[in-house]
Amino acid sequence: MNESMLCTKTHEYVLEQGNKYEVGITDYAIEQLGDIVFIELPEVGAEFSKNEVFATIESVKAASEIYMPISGKVVEINEAVVDSPELLNDENHADKWLIKIESEADQVEFADLLDYSDYKEEVE
Amino acid sequence: MTKQTFLHDKHVALGAKMVDFAGWHMPVQYSSIIEEHKTVRESVGIFDVSHMGEVIVQGEDALPFLNKIVPQDINKLVDSKAVYCQLTNKQGGLIDDLIIYKLEDKKYLIIANASRIDEDLNWMVRNKVGFDVQIINESHNYSLLAVQGPKACELIQSLGVEELPKFFSIKRGELFNINLWISRTGYTGEDGVEILVRNEFSEYLWDKLMEAGQSFGIKPIGLGARDTLRLEAALHLYGNDLDEDTTPIEAGLSWSIPRDKKEDYNGKAAIEKQLKEGGTKKLIGFRMLDRGIARHEYEVYFNDEKVGVVTSGGVSPTRGDNIGLAYVKTLDDLAVGSTIKILIREKFYNAEVINKPFVKKRNKG
Repeated sequence: MNESMLCTKTHEYVLEQGNKYEVGITDYAIEQLGDIVFIELPEVGAEFSKNEVFATIESVKAASEIYMPISGKVVEINEAVVDSPELLNDENHADKWLIKIESEADQVEFADLLDYSDYKEEVE
Repeated sequence: MTKQTFLHDKHVALGAKMVDFAGWHMPVQYSSIIEEHKTVRESVGIFDVSHMGEVIVQGEDALPFLNKIVPQDINKLVDSKAVYCQLTNKQGGLIDDLIIYKLEDKKYLIIANASRIDEDLNWMVRNKVGFDVQIINESHNYSLLAVQGPKACELIQSLGVEELPKFFSIKRGELFNINLWISRTGYTGEDGVEILVRNEFSEYLWDKLMEAGQSFGIKPIGLGARDTLRLEAALHLYGNDLDEDTTPIEAGLSWSIPRDKKEDYNGKAAIEKQLKEGGTKKLIGFRMLDRGIARHEYEVYFNDEKVGVVTSGGVSPTRGDNIGLAYVKTLDDLAVGSTIKILIREKFYNAEVINKPFVKKRNKG
């Protein structure tokens, strides 16, 4: 996991990449979910506010809703993990992000996000 | 307070993810549900199912008492044989589903669901008036280990058990100098055994079975894979697929009900009526045609009408698709081959009604 990512208490992360942000779920969340068998992502162009459900991830046991860490507009989705959800469980697979967004979120939206190291402390 | 089996610390040490199930702190998975599922389908897995209830029913009237509380004909049960039964209420609704073993004359063993053991005992005690019978809850004295998979019997035989009990039979045996009961039953659709052992020997037995099973590829299996395995075999889960408002006929268990039982039993009138006329709902199996996973309590539609509800659903690691069980109205044109719709997160997904079980059972040893 990239140390500069910011995490939610509901186990999503956001990572700044130039003028875009990558959004996904944390390694801890993946570990807790176990075998991931289905991922539903929004369409490119969809807009979401902070804390809104934007995706659903299903493990063998249950369906989990995934929330936006910050507001934004979807500019790219990770088709590879939609086609092969098990890639999220694959330790050798690097690209585990779900969507990339453009965002005009202000500091207020970032205020409750945790540094990755703080997040790790929180969940362990 | 959450209960723990005598193998609890073993599961934690093995790195299992633990969850609360029916009041017990149980392992849901050790490595991966899908990997564990495949292990049981391809070689052999070991399960701690010590949360299950064990009840001894014995005494002069043990036989007539059992004949009163289940629709099955216990007269026909001979020594060391087992029969799949249901505990029914006066309306024919399901209080629990059980396996009853005849251990010897006037002595029977009941294996009951962990989630229902208290209700079962209450119901049995209420029904024992006038019967000379003792109902003894042995659940806290015994552990139950299931060893299941195509290599399960070979493994047990390699430990000096020359002749395994036949399918749905039980015998007293000895493994690693421990006296125990070996039953040729399970909840996976595979061949295998369930071993009933006193609590104080369960940890030792688990370790020895794991050690001896290494060369057979044995792995510990959690409740997660137990659920996907039983769903593929279309074996009911109480609380999901069975409840007090559902009769054995509606649950697709007519095959287990004798038509010629003379004794009266709880719910007999209702059950006999439904045997002739059918129930008010029926349990169907389906596979998803669209990409989506049906889950417990999702709604089922047919010809734009809501016709029922999913009771169990999920992935089938063996088939590689998504399957489920649902109760639907008993409509004539809703049958195998019909296309139904499952409402998943406010969207409709197509599914096809198919025959059960979803994966061929291989346990008629």
